[in-house]
This record gives sequence, structure tokens and C-alpha cells, in this order.
Amino acid sequence: MYDLRVVVDEIRGFCDLPMEVGDYFEVSGGRITIPDGKFMCLWALQSILPMLPAKQRNIVEDNDWLSNTVRVACPDPNGMVIFRIERVGQPAGEGKTEHGPRGPRPRMLVNEKLCAGCRACELICSFTHERKFSDLLSRIHVAKVDEDGIDRPLVCRQCGNARCVEACPSGALSRDPETRCVLVDQALCGGCGACVRACPFDAITLHPERGAPLICDLCGGDPECVRRCPTGAISYGLAGVSEKAPRPGAPYRASAQGTPGDQEGNI
Amino acid sequence: MKSYGYAGRILDVDLGAGKVSAEGLDLASARRYIGGRGLNVARLVREIGLDVDPLSPENVLIIGTGPLDGTLFPGAARVNFTSKSPQTGILGDSNAGGFFGPELKFAGYDQVIIRGRADRLSYLFISDDGAEVLPAVDLAGLDVWETQKALLARHGRRAQVACIGPAAERGVKFSGIFCNLVRAAARTGMGAVMASKGLKAVVVRGTRPLEVARPDEFLDFIRALDTRILSHPEYKPRVALGTTRLLSALNAAGCLATRHFQTGRFEHADEVSGETLAARLRVKGKACFSCTIPCSRFFEVKSGPYAGLKSEGPEFEGLAGFTSRVGVRDLEAGLATLDMCNRAGMDAISTAECVSFAMECFERGIISRKEADGLDLTWGNIGAVQTLVRKIASREGFGDVLADGVREAARKIGRGSEDLAMHVKGLEIFMADPRGIKGYALGNAVASRGGDHLRSEPSFEFTQDAEAAVRRFGAREAAFRLEHKGKGRVVKHFEELCALADSLDACKNTIVNMEVLPFDDAATVLRAATGFDFDGAEVQAACERIVNLERCFITALGIRRSDDTLPRRFREEPMPAGCGATSGSTVALDEMLDEYYKARGWDVRTGVPTASTLRRLGLDEWASRLAERDVPIVDQ
Repeated sequence: MYDLRVVVDEIRGFCDLPMEVGDYFEVSGGRITIPDGKFMCLWALQSILPMLPAKQRNIVEDNDWLSNTVRVACPDPNGMVIFRIERVGQPAGEGKTEHGPRGPRPRMLVNEKLCAGCRACELICSFTHERKFSDLLSRIHVAKVDEDGIDRPLVCRQCGNARCVEACPSGALSRDPETRCVLVDQALCGGCGACVRACPFDAITLHPERGAPLICDLCGGDPECVRRCPTGAISYGLAGVSEKAPRPGAPYRASAQGTPGDQEGNI
Repeated sequence: MKSYGYAGRILDVDLGAGKVSAEGLDLASARRYIGGRGLNVARLVREIGLDVDPLSPENVLIIGTGPLDGTLFPGAARVNFTSKSPQTGILGDSNAGGFFGPELKFAGYDQVIIRGRADRLSYLFISDDGAEVLPAVDLAGLDVWETQKALLARHGRRAQVACIGPAAERGVKFSGIFCNLVRAAARTGMGAVMASKGLKAVVVRGTRPLEVARPDEFLDFIRALDTRILSHPEYKPRVALGTTRLLSALNAAGCLATRHFQTGRFEHADEVSGETLAARLRVKGKACFSCTIPCSRFFEVKSGPYAGLKSEGPEFEGLAGFTSRVGVRDLEAGLATLDMCNRAGMDAISTAECVSFAMECFERGIISRKEADGLDLTWGNIGAVQTLVRKIASREGFGDVLADGVREAARKIGRGSEDLAMHVKGLEIFMADPRGIKGYALGNAVASRGGDHLRSEPSFEFTQDAEAAVRRFGAREAAFRLEHKGKGRVVKHFEELCALADSLDACKNTIVNMEVLPFDDAATVLRAATGFDFDGAEVQAACERIVNLERCFITALGIRRSDDTLPRRFREEPMPAGCGATSGSTVALDEMLDEYYKARGWDVRTGVPTASTLRRLGLDEWASRLAERDVPIVDQ
């Protein structure tokens, strides 16, 4: 088990308690310690609490959100006080971190609140993979409900426990050891659709002619849909890690900050 | 034959005979008219007799897309609906964004010709496998939102719907065709034509892959264009507010249509502006198919009497139409009125004009409270405004007087109200006062579909870039909104850019307002998409041909220089004090018209294209067609 320190990382709104950036408390075993003269907000604590036992423990699954998420927000929408959970020292008797030798990996991240529903991601995906424009040939889809203004990008998120891989009866699906994207062996695939049904994100469809699943291949590590997305609703990065500065090579996202809004759907 | 850019086929639907057939796209014609609006009008003039009754089965309704619809080209999302207009009696043509146009391409059609009249209310379902006419009796009277919901339940959430609302079914002449609930092809009464054919909706689901001739070149071009758009100074304001930013911008310029153009500044503009809307009600940005600029927005009202109201939109026209134009200072009430208008399926510009016209007639004592069905049509009376909108949509009582458009309403009312009817050629003008924007004033006066800003959008006159004005249009005044000189040439140029946007069926935000696609670049992307070896001059000539063909059509229907005018107020009544630099200004139309006709190669006395202009553009046959109708046509 790790010891933890929980630090106020950032205050985007207004905290009238007030908590201040740099305030912290520590967790060791079952005990919480607050430095002399300091205090801890009851409301923020109740939202952080469930994370603490998880962060104390080593998590074998190296691409799950739980192991990669280190920031937690206070539930007060006006406050937007964001806490960072740090591990202090090494757990006794263990040499490696929870992420394995290579550390956490980037993955597809979706924030549907930012999605404007243009479906350009579908177009660039089908065009770069198949040189044709067709939503049936795309590995990403935007589910839309006009009357409610809902635009929901559906794409493989490189889950920790890939249920599609587990569900495949013919062993046609595997994980890329580098990027962790799901690979499809066309020769083994029987086109049964078990993976489509197993995916909790509705992210898999079957190729209209070949019958094999269309699953995001991350374009080798620089997803075209992310480059083309004008709002930053889809991004490629580490879950739970805030991205304060625009990434180089992502001009679309960098210049499209139309709303003073929630850029971070993964806190 | 394999087709690039274009889907390659035209669908022909005869509702009277219940027959559906397909033909190949004529590539020679496509090259002459590009697509969308251009190909539609070229087809329209072949299909109908000039004197056809717009609401008869002999009129046709043409749905057209462009060669970039369905591709990654930003904003190539639009679709044109073209017919002879029952509202104006001349060219009917209107386009909408959203997702319908691309879906039609994916079903394999560039264009759909709809003729005849169904013997019962029907809808058309188009898919990869063809099209079928299906009964829609159960959809009768449903509003636009209910209709889309019912049809998506039947055909799946990936289908796209273009439909009419109850106003069209009741014969409101300025009813439109609506896609994605609020994406309206609203102008010139295309909804009324669709209703006259017994057609409630067109539903499309297409899954045929679309290809371009040179994929690598095409993608390179799109990436470069995206960068140009994203680094444009207009980008951020357009993403933040879309067209709603015009409300406060025009108010500051002193030419926001206020209380039916009685002045150009609304004292409550801050309460109903795009900025206020964004701060208070905006939920998120929205975009049309494939667009780099999410300039549309989704809003939701969370409290107050309109709590629960939510919709995509509004655009500037709807926002100002039901606030400043009718004197309403309650933002949520204005949005609710627009929502009623959208659901009923009516043009927000025409509806707002009819209502504000009635309010000014009421103020001046031209109509009594009794004539207005007891409504107190005092400025800002939101209850009366909403009741009147409802009455127009159902053609009930005084609403029936207004439901044929403001020109007809003034004719019926008489008593001098004709001077207050703010239309050109029967089409109501939008929410900017022409006195403050002389280029737009000219654009409205000469537009081929009647009083409308979207045929030219000469926003160059806001730039104050004198150097560019001299270089491009030969007069430094061209870059200043209150000046007249140079505007003839400005309007000619921007009419052709608008023809380009409408024929590609791509958005004018980028092509016209941001000017990111000069004709040479349009030729480059069309070469990559279609394989045609276009150059910039040929593309511009095609756009000029489209403008001239439309002019020939309306000239044959009797339009002359004397019809290229504006309501008397804008020409004769100076803008009142309190409107900044616009105060004291009127529109001197004649000098701009002279310059415009000269630039166009039209007869300055009559406004008729000269025979040599028609020859130059390959429209020779129109010289004889016009002569047959006793149109005075000269050679030079």
C-alpha cells in the first residue's frame, strides 16, 4: 500500500471556505492527517474518499482510467476546486509502479459536451483508411439527437479490460503491445459480431462488405480524427491528466476554444 | 460510369403517376452550372413553362446538391430547393444546411426532380436502392419537430428528414422546407410548393461511398483550407456567437431593424444580443456536416415562463426578427416566438416582416384593433406577437391577410400601407436597415429571388480597407458601408461568390464572408474532386452564367430596372437621429444600379442582359426566348 498526499492543484471557480492552492492532507493506512492549523472541506472530501483506497493499492491493469486518474474535482460547480492525489514514496517490498515498465499510455478520450456534431471525424476516418467518404467505413461515429442537442462520438477507448477481445470466439482480436489498440486478424474473423455486442461504448461496427469489425487503430499513434476535430471533443492523451497548454500539432483543437467551458471531461 | 465528386444520378419523381425513375447526371451541364443552385435553375427553366401556376402540378420542385456535398470540404453540407415561387411569382430558390444534402449524395443522387401532385398526403423515402412514395396521411398537421420524430422512428436515427410544417399545409405562401428541425430552406415559399404536391417530407438514408478523383490532392487542399479558416481573424467570433453577433454589431452601426425600420438602434439591444444569449442560455456549439466552424449553437431556457425551451439556433435573422424588429426586449420570449415559427415551418424573415408591418400599420392607424382581431399590436406586446404568428400559421382571421406575404397583405389592406411593406419583388427583406449598408441595399434591390441579402452578402463594405477597395473595385469608397461608389462592382463580385457557394452547396460564412476560396482555389478543389480540368476563369464564368440565367428567367417574367428597387422609406426617409454615422442617410439607388448594370453587361435603361453578354456566357438561346416575350433586348 502507498501513502498518499492530496493537494489542492487548481481552483478554477471560487471557494468560499476557502481552500487554497497547495493545501493538502495525507493518508497513511486508515488514517487521515491534516497539517496543524489547516482544514479540509467536507464536500470535497466526500468526492475524493472513494478514490483513496484505490490509489493506495497497486493496480495491475495498466490502461484503466482508475490507475491513470490523479485529479478529482470538488462537486460544487461554482468552486471547481481540483485536487491532485500523489503517492508518497514506494510501497514496501515492490519495485515497480502500477503502470508497468512503460507507464500509462495515451488513449482516445471523448468529451461529448464539446462535440458540435459535425461528423468530420467520420469523414476523415473513412477517407484516410479507405480513400472514400462513407459513415459505414468509418471507425468512429457520432450519435446525434437533434431535439436535445446531443452529439456523442462513439469510438474505441482502448479499455483496460477489452471486452471485445474477451468476447471474440475465434481469437481474431488482440492488443497492440505498443499502442494498446485492438487489432483485427481478418483471416481469423468470422464476422459474428460478438465484439460489437460486447463493446460498452457502442464503438464497433462491421465492415459492410468484409464483415470484419471496424475498430479504431489510432492511425498508428496520431489519430486523424483528433487532428480534424474542431472542438477538442475527441482527443488522444492520458486519461485524468489535464492538458493546460495546447499540444503542438493539434491546431484544430488549439484554436477552437469558443466556449469558456469544461475542457476536461476526465477529471 | 464511375463518378467523382458528383454522385452521378438524378432522381425523377412523378407524384401524380406514382412513378420514380433515375437518369445519369449530364456532366456537360454540371460543368456549365457546377451543381446546387446553378444546376437547379438550369433544370427548372427546361422543365416548366414560364407562365406555370407555381402551386399547380405542372410546377416542379427540384432538390439539388453540389459536387463537394458529402466530402470533407468544410461546410459543404447544404441543399438547394428550387421552383417557381408562389410567394413572389418569380424564381423560387432556398437552401439549408445541416445533414440532408450530404445524405442525398450518399444515397447516390445529385438532384431530385419532383413533379405532379400525390392524390393523398405522402412522403418520399430515398435510399441506396432507389425511392418510394409512401403514405403520410398520419403525419398531416404535425409540426416540423413532430414530423421528424415520427419519420426517424420509422427509418432510424441515421436518416435525414426534410419536411414541411402545418403552415405549408395551410397554404402559407412563405412556408419553408426544414432539415434537422431548424435548418430552414425558408425563403420564397418552397414549403408551399411542396405542400401543393401533397408531399409532407423527403427522408433519405444513403450509404454509398463517395469518391473524389484525386484523393491525395483533395486532402492536401482541405488541410490547407482548414488552416486558412482556423487562422482567420473572423474564426473565433464566428465560433463563439455565429451570426447572432450581428445584432449588437448592426445596432452599434445604427442599422439594426428596429420597430419595423423606424430607427436603426434598439435601446434594449443589450438585453437580446447574441452576447447575452451566449452568456445566459448557450449550452454548446453546433456545426453542420463536415464544418470546421461550429458557428451554430444549442441553447436551453432553464427558468422563467419559457423554462424547458431548447433548440439549436438562433441565427441573427430569427433573433432580431422577434426582438428588435417587433420591439420585444425579452430574449426568452423572442426565442419562444422563433421556436413557434420554426415548428410551424415558416420563414422567420417573412413572418417577422408581416408581424412588424402590421404593428406599424396599427401604430399609424391604418388598421384598427378590430381589423386585427382585437389584438393590441403595440410594439413589444409579446402576447399579441405570438398570437399573430399562430394566426398566420393557421391562416386564421387577420393572420390570413398576412399569410400570402407582406406585398399581398398591403395590397389587400391598401390605405397607403403599400409604402410600409418592406419587400423587394414580393420577398421581405432581412433585419439590417439598407440605409446603413449601401452594398447590401443594392444587393437586395437586384437579387434574383427578390429582397434578400444572401444573393450577394457584400460584407467587404465593412472592411474600411481603402487600398483593397481601389485595387479590387476601382474605388476607395467600396470599402465603406455608407458610400455608394464602387458598390455596383462589389455586388457583382459577391453575387458570383454567392453563386459559387450555392452551387457547391457550401457555406457562405467561409466562401463569401471570410473569402477563403477565391475562384482559382475553387477550380483547384473542383479539379481534385470531380476530375474536370477547371481553371479559375471557367469557374467564375459558370457563376456569372448562373446569375445571368436567373436574370433571364425573371426578365422573361417581366422584371425590369424599375423592379430593382427598395421600399420608399429606405430611398426617401433619412435614418433618424441617434443612429450614429447612419443618421441622416438614405439609399441613392440609381447611381449604384447604373454601375451594377454596366459591370454586369446589362442594358442600363432596362436592366435586361444584352445579347452580347448572353453570347459570351453561352446563353444565346435566351436572346430569342426573351425577344419572343417582347423583352427589349439590345446587342451592346
